Amino acid sequence: MGRSYIVEDDVEEYLCKLCSTQSGTVTGLFIGQCSIQRDFIVMAARTPQKEESADDGQLVDKEWLSEHARQVSRMLPGGLSVLGVFIISDSDAKDSLTTLRQLVFAVENLISSEQLWSPADDDVTDRVTLHVNPKTRKTFDVTDPKTVAKPADWKYQSRVCSNWATVLCWLDVDLLVPIPEKITSTKTVEKCLMEGLKSWTHQIESGVFLIDGKKLPEDSELKGGQKKSTRQTYTAQLLVSPDMQKSSDVVQRCGGSLSVRGVIHSRAFLHSNKPKAKLAERLLKMDVVSTVATRVQMLLEETLTSEESSRDVKQTEQLCLPRRVFCPVKVTGPLCVCDYQFSDEGLTEITDRLKEMLDTDAAEDDLDTTQEMSAELIQSEATEEATAETVEASEPRRDIYIGVAVGIAVALLATAASALYFSDA
Amino acid sequence: MVLVESNSVTIVRVRGPLELRCLLDSTDDLVLMAISRAFQSLRSQVKSQSCVFAVCGSPVIIWPNTGVYEEITPDTPCEDVFQWIQTDEQEPGGRRSAKKKSKRAISVNVLNLSLMMEVTRPGPLSAPVLSKTVQKSNFLSATLPIDCVVRTSCNNTIREACEQLLEALTQQLFEMEKVTLQHMKGTTLLVPEPVHFLLPEPKGLVTVVFPAGVPDRELETQRRELHQQFDLPDDRPYFRRANAFHFPDEPYKDGYLRNPHAVLTHPNLDNGKVYLVQGIYSYHHYMQDRADDNGWGCAYRSLQTICSWYQQQGYVERSVPSHKEIQQALVDVGDKQASFVGSRQWIGSIEVQAVLNHLLGITSKIMFVSQGLELASKGRELANHFLTEGTPVMIGGGVLAHTILGVAWSETTGQIRYLILDPHYTGAEDLQTITDKGWCGWKGPDFWDQTAYYNLCLPQRPRFI
Repeated sequence: MGRSYIVEDDVEEYLCKLCSTQSGTVTGLFIGQCSIQRDFIVMAARTPQKEESADDGQLVDKEWLSEHARQVSRMLPGGLSVLGVFIISDSDAKDSLTTLRQLVFAVENLISSEQLWSPADDDVTDRVTLHVNPKTRKTFDVTDPKTVAKPADWKYQSRVCSNWATVLCWLDVDLLVPIPEKITSTKTVEKCLMEGLKSWTHQIESGVFLIDGKKLPEDSELKGGQKKSTRQTYTAQLLVSPDMQKSSDVVQRCGGSLSVRGVIHSRAFLHSNKPKAKLAERLLKMDVVSTVATRVQMLLEETLTSEESSRDVKQTEQLCLPRRVFCPVKVTGPLCVCDYQFSDEGLTEITDRLKEMLDTDAAEDDLDTTQEMSAELIQSEATEEATAETVEASEPRRDIYIGVAVGIAVALLATAASALYFSDA
Repeated sequence: MVLVESNSVTIVRVRGPLELRCLLDSTDDLVLMAISRAFQSLRSQVKSQSCVFAVCGSPVIIWPNTGVYEEITPDTPCEDVFQWIQTDEQEPGGRRSAKKKSKRAISVNVLNLSLMMEVTRPGPLSAPVLSKTVQKSNFLSATLPIDCVVRTSCNNTIREACEQLLEALTQQLFEMEKVTLQHMKGTTLLVPEPVHFLLPEPKGLVTVVFPAGVPDRELETQRRELHQQFDLPDDRPYFRRANAFHFPDEPYKDGYLRNPHAVLTHPNLDNGKVYLVQGIYSYHHYMQDRADDNGWGCAYRSLQTICSWYQQQGYVERSVPSHKEIQQALVDVGDKQASFVGSRQWIGSIEVQAVLNHLLGITSKIMFVSQGLELASKGRELANHFLTEGTPVMIGGGVLAHTILGVAWSETTGQIRYLILDPHYTGAEDLQTITDKGWCGWKGPDFWDQTAYYNLCLPQRPRFI
């Protein structure tokens, strides 16, 4: 037996629109939430056009589509994920089957390779593929491409997500990891940071999850929250304890340190209006871990300067992680997608990306920028005077470097009385 | 359903790991500053809104710095908090009736709390900053095993206990910083470890921080300072690791009973006083450790009981010897032939004295009585022994060996009773049976064979700390 999918009406409209306005093959992604009994599709987004397409638009580029899925995953808060792939083409359903299977596999592999959290036993792994023939408007549904394809039960409904509950929190991140003395191919700065994130992930996963200050039994339903309003919103609290260190090596040689400090806003959506505590806990924790990992990866992708520490003089540089900005999926209803805004970006870049990745038309006024404040560089407590030799940075669009050569004292955050701040316009 | 008795004592204990992480600069001064700063940041964490005490095994959660108490009110007496702890016999509804307490005179209950940090905050706040510091240096990463206790009496509220615990936490972090800096050599650093000791009243339960991995013999200076600080005699150990306080809720892993005599009612003689063994011993008897020594091993078992006393009071680190090890020791000192090892031959007080000397370095006095009825007149000597040495006494004569754990003696009437621990018991470690059936109990002078001669081995206590 295949799975049942409850699909938002808007998705049907969107698919129809794509059928009538696009020529050539169109691919895209389905976004929603799985549950044990049925799955919910709340959005669809077509694959963005490649700038130069050598082909006539008939061939499907697996890597391009997977990369789109990876980027889209980063824009989805907790509870929402890429659940499937669709293809609109004239070709026969059978021909598309193989393509679709390959696409879904590729997407799954890429997305799960970035995940830091451990999969749970009851995670649903079925994914849906849909083939629409624009001329005949015939749809062929397939599910679970991992094994034998099974037919899916595909049902359109209105206001699927209007009653979904929201769980949220602001969480303080305070990580400090050593950088190896010698940067080798296996021990890169990036690897160290990801390892540090892995152990932080474990702390979060084992943390105690509270709603309204109470530890709820796993299968109990969330009560309370703001009952009077139309939306159910729950603010969570998380208590953690570090793991007892196994290694007895208390002091190790290093080439410096990396720290990530600040507060992130985390949010997850749950499909029914009386969600179970266990699900809320898992989805919110997954979002906490992925929003931090995503931002760190985004920074690393822009490459940090990786010169080795040859001098004894300490060098500190700081980079602001982008802040999270939310955009509602529909005018009403609790669901949002999100994006990350670097300090040198304006809101137009956000709306442009939302259009490109999720095919969402959002105005700057629709964006919610109040959940996180832009990262600031705060004066540290040790106010030693630094010989402020500021370094001019020649960096790509997204990076803002503040290089300060400090003669003495530890400063995880900016210290110098005069720290100048350069950016390329 | 029995309510917790009002003369009970509740020990509130908070434990939890705290991470100490920092970059250590190359010069020594800066290293000390970096470490001090890291400890200071931990002290701030403990005093902050994010510090949380979670009562283990219960839904009770406390934010001690903001005064938020979940499930209970701040004025709840500590002993009532136990009702919230969920055991396997959980009644539906959350609260369970207090268990029937054991028949001990004063029950000591331990309320365990877990130290955690809340990482969520009221938002919105500043998004994260990634800082990269590049410098050839050292990185310190240690987990501190925080462990603080507070002893409360029956009316203390949980809020009072938490306030005291917060002070104890800050104090412990200061001491850990001091111990860490004291024992730093170059770039090796020892993790500070808290150990609890129960000192004679009124000092009570005290926590000392020692560097992990450093053996007792290298910490004598610290112990001397502690003896001075707490005004303790300098001829017996109080602060060796073996002297650490044993929490009643943590069962001994080796399975032996400790101090079974403690549950007995002591005899009340006219103008009489009770003189008992001081400290903790384990009850060793026939058939333990899968050694079938029924009929011949009684003196060996008495010797084991004595060895266990020396180990648990911190005088020796050596574990209790087996029958074979005892026999080998006698061969090694030339007292027995090599064929003795593995045999079922009896030993007496002289052999006990020899083994204590050879294996543990302990000297003993031998007391001889030519007839059992003379033992009735040895009240003063035995009383003095328990006062000054306080060690268990092995007595052998006739065909039996026993352990004497104390005397009740009246100087005026001459009445005497002996507290006997009988090594001939072959059953399981069941305190009820052992005390009910008199395997550990008070006996009169007619317990001894009136015509047989007896030798007593009185082990002496070394005078060191």
